[in-house]
Amino acid sequence: MRTLVLGLGNPILTDDGVGIRVVRAARGCCQPGEVGFAEASVGGLRLLDVLEGYERVIIVDAIRTPGGKPGDIFWLSSSQLYASLHSGSSHDLSLAGALSLGRGLGMTLPDDDHLRILAIEVEDVLTFGEECTAAVAAAIPQAVQAILSELPLDPSILSDHGRER
Amino acid sequence: MEKISIDPITRLEGHGRIDIFLDDGGEVANAYLVIPELRGFEKFAEGRPVEEMPRITPRICGVCPEAHHIASAKACDAVYHVEVPTAGKKLRELLYSAFYVADHTVHFYILAAPDFVLGPDAPPAERNILGLIHKVGLDIGGKVIASRGKAMDIVGMLGGKTIHPVGALPGGVSKAIDEEERAQIEAWGHDLVDFGLFSLQLFKDAVLGNQAYLDMILSDTYTTPMYYMGLVDEDNKVNFYDGKVRVVDPEGNEFVKYRPEEYLDVVAEHVEPWTYLKFPYLKKVGWKGFVTGQDSGIYQATPLSRLNAADGMATPGAQEAFEAFYETLGGKPVHGTLATHWARLIELLYAAERLVELATDPGITDPHVRNIPTATPDEGVGIVEAPRGTLTHHFVTDERGIVKKANLIVGTTNNYAPISISIKKAAQAFIHKGQGITEGMLNRVEMAFRSYDPCFGCATHTLPGQMPLEVRILDTSGELVDVLRQNM
Repeated sequence: MRTLVLGLGNPILTDDGVGIRVVRAARGCCQPGEVGFAEASVGGLRLLDVLEGYERVIIVDAIRTPGGKPGDIFWLSSSQLYASLHSGSSHDLSLAGALSLGRGLGMTLPDDDHLRILAIEVEDVLTFGEECTAAVAAAIPQAVQAILSELPLDPSILSDHGRER
Repeated sequence: MEKISIDPITRLEGHGRIDIFLDDGGEVANAYLVIPELRGFEKFAEGRPVEEMPRITPRICGVCPEAHHIASAKACDAVYHVEVPTAGKKLRELLYSAFYVADHTVHFYILAAPDFVLGPDAPPAERNILGLIHKVGLDIGGKVIASRGKAMDIVGMLGGKTIHPVGALPGGVSKAIDEEERAQIEAWGHDLVDFGLFSLQLFKDAVLGNQAYLDMILSDTYTTPMYYMGLVDEDNKVNFYDGKVRVVDPEGNEFVKYRPEEYLDVVAEHVEPWTYLKFPYLKKVGWKGFVTGQDSGIYQATPLSRLNAADGMATPGAQEAFEAFYETLGGKPVHGTLATHWARLIELLYAAERLVELATDPGITDPHVRNIPTATPDEGVGIVEAPRGTLTHHFVTDERGIVKKANLIVGTTNNYAPISISIKKAAQAFIHKGQGITEGMLNRVEMAFRSYDPCFGCATHTLPGQMPLEVRILDTSGELVDVLRQNM
């Protein structure tokens, strides 16, 4: 089963880039070719370009929940994605819509059971900056661990996880 | 099911909010679009080498990274006083034309067509591309995906990366193309021209063939005469990549035509207390509030404005469509906001035709694609037409090329005031005291700004999909009367 770990976010928008940072760190813990890793600052149909060809996908992204504490980590299933995502663009499809369209057109895409989202509660996504805020940066190793535990990897190579590269 | 608010996971656009203020009689007095703004880009840019800007600025926005990439590269050319070789210019424009095809395709088929093909009152769950496919057939979805895919493959081929291109550098581009690549681009280009013609025909059949839609396009509710801005070539034809910025008045007469480095003589920015975003306006006419017309400096920068500001299109099929546009809609300029959808498709065809022109240009495979900058860098402005409006990048550097000052006027920002005015007009037409507010009414208000293809990704942040929209209705004392939410 072809697997992709996809970091979403804007790497120059403070905490918004946390998904990308987590994926970069996770990639550093894996042998080349075992699992696909990608990062993107886009959505909608552009995401479909990235997801096509994979049967299993883990998306890592920033989240803000009411009263949430920066650094908290959530696993979301695709059913929660459909129910609650602010699938929000005036210019493109939602991720759910893009997936429905792609599947309808016969593209190889993950089914609902094989699309999971790891979301990290964030603090600041409106200020340009290359570093995450302290609480969010501190959550990166735990997020990396959470992803690695989901991947079909040889445990002997997982000695160096959590370090951002 | 647990409800989780996921603002920051959203990737592309801002979480928009419309505030509608009622008067004492309960009618709409005012309406504003409120969006959050990203902070600190100028500070972020300061101290960095200016040649990094073509790679950094595409990250500002997930919708049109290509536009920022090319605008920054052009600003860098100016900063370094370097002339781009002819083949370098053509390759940049080729990439840009392909990007336009992809971008306009997404807007029309994902956002505009469902309103017309399924109708503005269709339930939101059906009023989307999936509903469109259900009604028109799976084939149309395949065409959209395939055409956009070819256009994006061209972007990837020329830009080095499909998502955030890196191919343009100060003085040119990083690599030439060979004959095999050229032939592939040409072949795809012909397919894209066919797709452009198909899209115009679909518009003709689905929209123009329906008198109710034509009446809606021409209705006063969606009509806002104002100044129109667009980049033109030396023959005053629409150009996305290069030329001078031309502004025409509401009568269609040329008001000003300026070079990129003169933009601060023409455009100023107004500040309102309820939003961090600024409202650009024409300095010489002045800011007169949220009103349009000859005496108000408010202008728009959209596909419609580009057509209004030009004397025609530089390719044959698009020129024919340009003529039909003005003939059908009662002459030039056209003031109907909803006509922007048609203008966008004319531009789509132009971009595809221009792509073929460039791909068949004998000089396109010339290996000399870059002149290495040698002059001392200082200051430069780069302007392109982003799909959503004139995009201006301005950098000031020290003698080492380190950015001291950066200023960006992004496509949608030009249209912030016109969007607010269009929303108010639609709200006044559709929302009245004592009437329940229906999804269809809300959608008709939303249609007023959707035609601008607003992208606040440059000014704010968010995720993929239908724009989350909150409409708040407030009485004269500012008390909240009602809140309507969509996609939230």
